[in-house]
Amino acid sequence: MHQFALWLASTPPSVFIQEHNAWAIPAIQSVHIVGIALVMGSVLMIDLRILGLAWTEQSLQQTSNRFGPWLTGSLWLLLATGLLMVVGEPVRELVSFSFWLKMALVAIGAAVAVSFQRALRRHEQQWGATLAHRPSIKALAVLTFLVWICVIFLGRLIAYDHVWGSWSPAQRL
Amino acid sequence: MLEWLQRTAVAVSIRDSLYTFPVLESIHVVGLALVFGTIAILDLRLLGVASTDRPVSRLMADLLKWTWAAFAVTALTGGLMFSTNALVYFHNTFFRAKMILLVLAGLNMLVFELTARKTIDRWDRASTTPSSAKVVATISLVIWIGVIVAGRVIGFTATRATVPAEAAPDVNFEDLLGLPK
Repeated sequence: MHQFALWLASTPPSVFIQEHNAWAIPAIQSVHIVGIALVMGSVLMIDLRILGLAWTEQSLQQTSNRFGPWLTGSLWLLLATGLLMVVGEPVRELVSFSFWLKMALVAIGAAVAVSFQRALRRHEQQWGATLAHRPSIKALAVLTFLVWICVIFLGRLIAYDHVWGSWSPAQRL
Repeated sequence: MLEWLQRTAVAVSIRDSLYTFPVLESIHVVGLALVFGTIAILDLRLLGVASTDRPVSRLMADLLKWTWAAFAVTALTGGLMFSTNALVYFHNTFFRAKMILLVLAGLNMLVFELTARKTIDRWDRASTTPSSAKVVATISLVIWIGVIVAGRVIGFTATRATVPAEAAPDVNFEDLLGLPK
């Protein structure tokens, strides 16, 4: 991975970002944070609707229709800006424990979001009548929210990978 | 006063810890994501872009308590981070710009209270909102994106008080868990 990161750092797009890092890195990170905010706002609203704490005069399907596309769209924005950050600072991102744990949690969070929206579309009646009231679904809503919070923590910890001790591959460089 | 602040026991303990500053930063990002995430939902409703099938007053009741709770968390963690290196942050251009933008965001909210909010009963359920509401919503989105950008740039332009050069072998995470190497 270190070899790959070094190779990536020598490619023209990476060199371009490195040469303009004074503005490029903060700019990309800022767009990334705006994307995070849109994800967190959307996830919070869908989860609050499942818990019956907001959007209560609308159905779960209506709430999901309102925020699902924003959630998916923001995740694509995060993927795009995240890729730019990897290209711009390959060693910092790819040779870090926080980054890979974050990617695993992002995969879980995104898989839950996609399968939830699919299940909702397929069994709309059931969801409105029974499924949304199940404690397990409510627990899943809380758990998903916590996964996204962990993703934010791990994203910030990429800058501080040494806190992981010898788990951080950067310590062995 | 700034010198006193960065000498306080709280500021010193944050500086001396390997984890506290990164954890504060992470909580700060969670908080600001919820602040901007919820504000954007309301602003987009005021612009007639999204959630137009719901009354604005219901949206405000659903959203603003979370906005304020998240803002309190963000302000608290921001204040703690500021205390670790108060003199440097205070003289940082982007920190100052961010504070000014936060004040402007407050004034913008006040303008909304004094204009469109007063007649909300007349347009609460309408998808088209008064132009004063649209102006306030646009300014709000611009200001909050500005707050995020300025906040991120502070991290690149202000020197951190103490950057642990490397993990002290007796305090890192795996030792915290007591795992074998």
